[in-house]
Amino acid sequence: MKKNIIILGGGQAGIYAAREIRQNDSESNIKILGEENLLPYERPPLSKDFLLDKKNEDDLYFHSIEVIKNENIDFENVLINKVDFEHKKLFSKNEDVYTYDSLLISTGSDNKRLSLDNNLSDDVYYLRNLEEAKIIKEKVSDKNKITIIGGGFIGLEIASSLSQLQKKVTVIEIGNQLMGRIIPKQIADLVQNTHIEQGNEIILNKQIDKIIKKNGIYEILLNDNSIIETDFVIAGIGSTPSVKLFENTNLKLDNGIVTNQFCETSIKDVYAAGDVCNFYHPFYERNMRLESYQHAQNHGICAGKNIAGVKTEYTSIPWMWSDQFNLNLQLTGICDDYDEIIARGNDINNGVIYFFLKNKIIKGACGLGIAGKVGRDIRITSKLTEKNTIVDKQILSDQNQKLNKLIQKQ
Amino acid sequence: MSEENWIEVGSTDSIEEEDLIRFDHQDKTFCVYRLTDGFYATDGICTHEAVHLEDGLVMDDEIECPMHQGIFNIKSGEALSPPACEDLKTYPVKVDNDKIFIKID
Repeated sequence: MKKNIIILGGGQAGIYAAREIRQNDSESNIKILGEENLLPYERPPLSKDFLLDKKNEDDLYFHSIEVIKNENIDFENVLINKVDFEHKKLFSKNEDVYTYDSLLISTGSDNKRLSLDNNLSDDVYYLRNLEEAKIIKEKVSDKNKITIIGGGFIGLEIASSLSQLQKKVTVIEIGNQLMGRIIPKQIADLVQNTHIEQGNEIILNKQIDKIIKKNGIYEILLNDNSIIETDFVIAGIGSTPSVKLFENTNLKLDNGIVTNQFCETSIKDVYAAGDVCNFYHPFYERNMRLESYQHAQNHGICAGKNIAGVKTEYTSIPWMWSDQFNLNLQLTGICDDYDEIIARGNDINNGVIYFFLKNKIIKGACGLGIAGKVGRDIRITSKLTEKNTIVDKQILSDQNQKLNKLIQKQ
Repeated sequence: MSEENWIEVGSTDSIEEEDLIRFDHQDKTFCVYRLTDGFYATDGICTHEAVHLEDGLVMDDEIECPMHQGIFNIKSGEALSPPACEDLKTYPVKVDNDKIFIKID
């Protein structure tokens, strides 16, 4: 049956959903409504190759307009400001009405913003989309001392790029290690050492009390009364799901849009995918919200299948990466519940990996190495994790033994 | 096909089954694979981002990029899984006296 399918949100989850629907349904109308006047583009390069001028805007698009047109996918740049789930309608700011049979919400996430008690909020910059990346790139060009508030992936990637642009970079992190929310301390310390070797200053365990501006220079007052002087301030302190549009509706929200393993929300014919979801993961038997490239892509594909009537559970084992300087960090699985850690390697030139086990079963791993060095073993770990494998610890810890052996034993 | 286009890569026992080696020739990088039914060769750099596939995972007839998990069919070069969407170039391979040769055009 020919349907009107609307995808609200023109990011990665949205475009992968659209193409998946088209693969399974050649008839229905598929329309993506995007807030940015840009075709869906890759965000990972924004903090890295885009800032470094190794990639330009045209290199970022997932697919050309020809590919999207050939698949008969309609893309419209519009700001939706009201939804009526009961009558299956969306309303734009200009009062255009969009009627759907099936709706996918893939609105992504927004920057958490620093709360400053003076009027300097607009002086702190954030990087989530292309526009923000362009502004930062332009503004830092004539600045020297840059301070980044937040030692997570995005902050450290920006710190790495700006260091390579010969900027004097300071990173201020509230926690007692970098990337503390998700990365084991051993790996965080190796990353920290690299930043310091490259000339970046890393300040841990400090909170921002106040930012003041004097003669065009910012003074960041920390909670130990120290002061950081800087020419430019960037913050990367996390994100919140983009759900403002749905706050006064009956769509179930709880740290994002609540979905089941089929990307279905609490409202019939309304699906959600990507960063915006707090989704049920059947492998972990709990809900979670993830912000990563792999998740946006695979969750979008899964939603697309379900919208097209191909009932599919979302079972991807989480995987994410960060590139800083010449290092590639990868994480797979959920590594917050373990009773044993096994180390593999001790030199980042050959890759260092920590595996997390519980009751001898592998639960995930985090690795760091020069580009590509840990990818294969991390990928194998994902495969072992999804099969609840009891692993041979001797093989895990010996870099001379290939982990492929563990898969072949399955 | 002229004989001189066949370039020697190494001996057959230099690659384990379901594995690969990297082979650099002039300014190009290749991957040479040993699968259960023989030897195959592709370009050595992922078509998604410029990453060496030598550190990727070989499973069945597929190579998976170690950086972003794009997957290619080793025999046809076909891009099978996003983010890879451009196919990988493949090259003819022959074995002669336990030595592997690839034909680079």
